[in-house]
Amino acid sequence: MSLRTLDINGRKVSVLEDGAGEPTLYLHGFADVHAVTEGWMPFHEKLMESCRLFAPAHPGCAASDEIEYLESAEDLVFHYLEVIDALGLDRFHLVGTCVGGWVAAELAARHPEKIRRLALIDASGLFVSGAPIGDIFMMSHPVRGTDYSELRAMLFESDRTPVGHELFPDGRAENIDDELRRYQMIRFTNRFGFSPPYFYNRSLRSRLHRIAAPTLVVWGEADQMVPVAHGEAYSAGIPGSNGVELVKGAGHSPQAEAPETTAALVADFLRG
Amino acid sequence: MHPVQLFCWHFMAYPHLPEDFDEKYDTGWVTVPNSLWDSEKSRGLFQEYIDQLAYADELGFDGLVLNEHHQNIYGLMPSPNLIAAALTQRSSKAKICVLGNLLPLHINPLRVAEEYAMLDNMSNGRIIAGFAPGGGPENYNYDIPSVTSRERFWEAVDLVVRAWTDDGPFNHEGHYYPLRYVNPWPKPTQKPHPQIWIPGSRSASTLTEVAKRGYCYFLSSRSHGGETYKAREQFSKVLEDHGDSYQPYRMGILMSAYVSETDAQAKAECEEGVWYFLRNCLKGHLRKEGRQLTFGAGVPYIPAPAWKEFLKHSDPERSMLGDVNDWDELDKAQSIVVGSPETVHRKILDLIEKSQVGNLLIQFHLGNMPGELALKSQRLFATQVAPALREDSARVFAKAYPRMEETLAAAGAEA
Repeated sequence: MSLRTLDINGRKVSVLEDGAGEPTLYLHGFADVHAVTEGWMPFHEKLMESCRLFAPAHPGCAASDEIEYLESAEDLVFHYLEVIDALGLDRFHLVGTCVGGWVAAELAARHPEKIRRLALIDASGLFVSGAPIGDIFMMSHPVRGTDYSELRAMLFESDRTPVGHELFPDGRAENIDDELRRYQMIRFTNRFGFSPPYFYNRSLRSRLHRIAAPTLVVWGEADQMVPVAHGEAYSAGIPGSNGVELVKGAGHSPQAEAPETTAALVADFLRG
Repeated sequence: MHPVQLFCWHFMAYPHLPEDFDEKYDTGWVTVPNSLWDSEKSRGLFQEYIDQLAYADELGFDGLVLNEHHQNIYGLMPSPNLIAAALTQRSSKAKICVLGNLLPLHINPLRVAEEYAMLDNMSNGRIIAGFAPGGGPENYNYDIPSVTSRERFWEAVDLVVRAWTDDGPFNHEGHYYPLRYVNPWPKPTQKPHPQIWIPGSRSASTLTEVAKRGYCYFLSSRSHGGETYKAREQFSKVLEDHGDSYQPYRMGILMSAYVSETDAQAKAECEEGVWYFLRNCLKGHLRKEGRQLTFGAGVPYIPAPAWKEFLKHSDPERSMLGDVNDWDELDKAQSIVVGSPETVHRKILDLIEKSQVGNLLIQFHLGNMPGELALKSQRLFATQVAPALREDSARVFAKAYPRMEETLAAAGAEA
């Protein structure tokens, strides 16, 4: 595993990099690398068996600097254009989970020529009437000061999911840095996801047709944060997508809940 | 003579919750279902609350205090300026302090500049203009991103003050509130502008911003153990760093009081209202039970390094004011002072001596307290506590701040 620090106009961006094969840019979500763990999770280790994985930490996450003016997905798209240039990526695969998936879709709609293959996993970013995105901010306030069961129920298939308790334990984390990582991710998303539009961009849907890459849409069948209807909307709007691949036994975080299955799905798809 | 300024603060709680509210609902804020609102029982409620404040004016309180809350049972004033408008016509001497308008919740802060200016004219210059950024619940109420709410807030404060003091029309080149025409009519009656109060909970950045601008700092904590004393020391230090000096009128604190003929009677009369207030009104705000929204990871306005320090030094299981188990614990929190006029006088004077704070903002009506008890407590306070408190506090301040006369005169001349 190698950890690089890019300098983007004086701002630090931490990037994890590993594996051999086609360059693949990975944009993380909540129960994901940089947001809950310092290093790779089993999902990424499996995925990098078939590609060269680049996983930058979002601005303000892990050791990446914050962007003070960040207030929209548009700002993030321009941030990642700089990251892509700094990494020397020309054409590459793009994989994103949750907000990472949202930014991936925005990037692919603006610069379809850069993307070989696109995989969206439980991505936010779209407005779907009648299927609102769950309030992860409110769920981040524990009940009675220590109980995160509702947060786990939102991020995973249910509060019974073992990996949920591992990544989001009740009370103060044994390692403060783990709790700090989760806070940094929430703070990052608060800048552009909190106020309406809540984790979506109304204009994105009308731009999805510009995405030229073959696209895989993967969704935890029991996603309580970004309902499956959002996966269906992505799939319907992106010409190169053939429906939604549902992951059984997973909620919002298939990369953490079903790492083997999800990595296999994505790896097979990226191989083409 | 410079005595403590005594304010009567009304929160206007919703008093008609079902008895099993605490068992059934996890919060009194933001998501507390408004199907619990009883329109019939609530007829005349605002009238009753306004009457209590009008009575405080008659009793000679130095000021009346209102504040802004949304979608909750703790305070039924989404628009405190409406109540302030009513009070301009129902009071004649007391200052009217709105503490404060929650600036980031306004699309355009100019509206606040205009309404305060109207109120200042309507009250013949009796307005104290409070501004607040809003806490966790308010971020949820109006979907305000916490990370930038402080920046938004200070830009708005400076815009409002400039709108009052600079001749218009002018162009405001703001980040959050760019405006081409700033030119409010009317302008405030008070020159250069109404006194400005800003609440805070001892964060260094708020203390600094308040000190820089010469405003009054209001400590929003409800408990007054060692922290209040520390806050004043901290503020004094920050003021000195800015070439200014502390005097008691630069700071205000919030407390609650209930006065009756004897200690025992006072406790018996107010106990129901107190527990209603602690268990229901503070649920979601200053209570560990349920989901507390006022502070926490979901409203991440604190930068990551400071948050790490907080995680290291805080206990997620710690109890808050609303969690106190019995009357003794409540007494120790020094938040609600209950007793005979002598007891209340002694406890408040002790607080003044320790904290050297010159503005006491006192909540008399608690939770579902019947109106006649709140009125009686206000009356006993005004007639049997306040006179001695004014005299004693003036003596305390004169001793601790022998140059207060000059400081006040200098501040006045500068203004």
